[in-house]
Amino acid sequence: MSGGAVAVTGLGLVTAAGIGVQDSWKGVCGGRSTAARTPVLEGMPVDIACSVPAYDPNDLLGRRSTMKYDRFVQFALIAAIEAVADSGLDPRAWDGARVGVVLGCGMGGLRSYDEQHRRMRESGPEGVSPLLIPLMIPNMASGHLGMWFGARGPNFVTATACASGATALGSALDLLRRDVCDVVIAGGTEAGILPLVATGFARMGALSTRRLDDPERASRPFDTDRDGFVMGEGAGILVLERAEHARARGARVRAGLAGYGASADAHHATAPDPEGRGVALAVTAALADAGVAPDEVDHVNAHGTSTPLNDAAEAASIRRLLGDAPVVTSAKGVVGHTLGAAGAIEAALTVLAIEERTVPPTANLTAPDPAIEIDIVRDQPRTHHSRVAVSNSFGFGGQNAVLVFTEGA
Amino acid sequence: MSSTYDQLVTLLTERFEVSPEDITPDTTFEDLEMDSLFMVELLLVVQSEMGVRISEDSATPADTVARAAELIDAQTAAAGS
Repeated sequence: MSGGAVAVTGLGLVTAAGIGVQDSWKGVCGGRSTAARTPVLEGMPVDIACSVPAYDPNDLLGRRSTMKYDRFVQFALIAAIEAVADSGLDPRAWDGARVGVVLGCGMGGLRSYDEQHRRMRESGPEGVSPLLIPLMIPNMASGHLGMWFGARGPNFVTATACASGATALGSALDLLRRDVCDVVIAGGTEAGILPLVATGFARMGALSTRRLDDPERASRPFDTDRDGFVMGEGAGILVLERAEHARARGARVRAGLAGYGASADAHHATAPDPEGRGVALAVTAALADAGVAPDEVDHVNAHGTSTPLNDAAEAASIRRLLGDAPVVTSAKGVVGHTLGAAGAIEAALTVLAIEERTVPPTANLTAPDPAIEIDIVRDQPRTHHSRVAVSNSFGFGGQNAVLVFTEGA
Repeated sequence: MSSTYDQLVTLLTERFEVSPEDITPDTTFEDLEMDSLFMVELLLVVQSEMGVRISEDSATPADTVARAAELIDAQTAAAGS
């Protein structure tokens, strides 16, 4: 199975809690939700979201970046620039053929689609920009990263809805173990806070609606009074590297990516299997892949969306498969549900939890659901030494992706 | 240079994020890192801002800014005659 261990040597984050790993981690550990009224959603049935703080794309990515890169690509580039710098790798010196890029993305450039659709309605086909397709298609996220860094190895985008980021990291792990690549820039990105998308999620009853006047309290994973998720946006990028390659260049190993498991519920388009069979398959496969026993897992970064169904089913699965010992958290209380980016953002947070020996709190968990019998961190970050940590991601479509990280590679 | 040239410079500055000091009459669109897709986008903007329609295959990234201004002037004259 294994072609050798894989190390995480670089991290980059763009979240509603901040641009950059430091601000994002600080925000998540602060346990305060970033959800707020969102001008772009004005007049929509749900008008709250967790938005990335304002930034100047030209400042960070150069001239005409808003014309070249949809917002979801901008996030990926900003996070990747941070992650590659953090890894200490020099893209001018590396063998680009041995560097891959794999990103998760649930939606792609819907902002550009929206804008050009408006132009077509107003001015007819001749008003449509020739830049539409290169702005919009989801695989441009990995494509542009390849161009930016001169990475000429395998380059693709995975789409498993809210599990996309984790699926991308798992696929990157395969490329490294098969020795196709020495380095893979992997993660996920999403920028879907748009009137049509938010309304689509609202119409299917997935979003929190109880606290539109008190948005900071709306996203409350595992709380008795949870009633849906709050949309977020952002990107998480990890530089993954064959551990041997990392050691040879004296790189700092931030954690190991030891295992990946994937499965499908084969049950329902949007509802989780109440018996959690798909999740069990993915968790079991990930642990076996990592070569660890269930009782070795001491931390779980939960998918924890704050929807009634997900959180109950996920908590039951954690309890049944891993027992009550792992210390559990969900970042979605703070940064919202970033859809295709979530698995990657949460993977980066899992690495930080291992490194910092700190598990961040789950925001707004004031009255834990009594049916949930797992140890969830609330109120304050908890000092905790995680040696083996699991990060769960589940997508609409019933797709499950589970990653196992270890202290050291 | 002509007022059309000046308008084009303004348009490149305001809509295509080019610094005015980077533009001379002899500057090509390639020099400004504008590829063929950006040329089509530029012609769309010229049409909406200046009311002049230039066909997509008449201007290329290898053209200079002065040449594009001449095209616009020629098209304006043709439309007016």
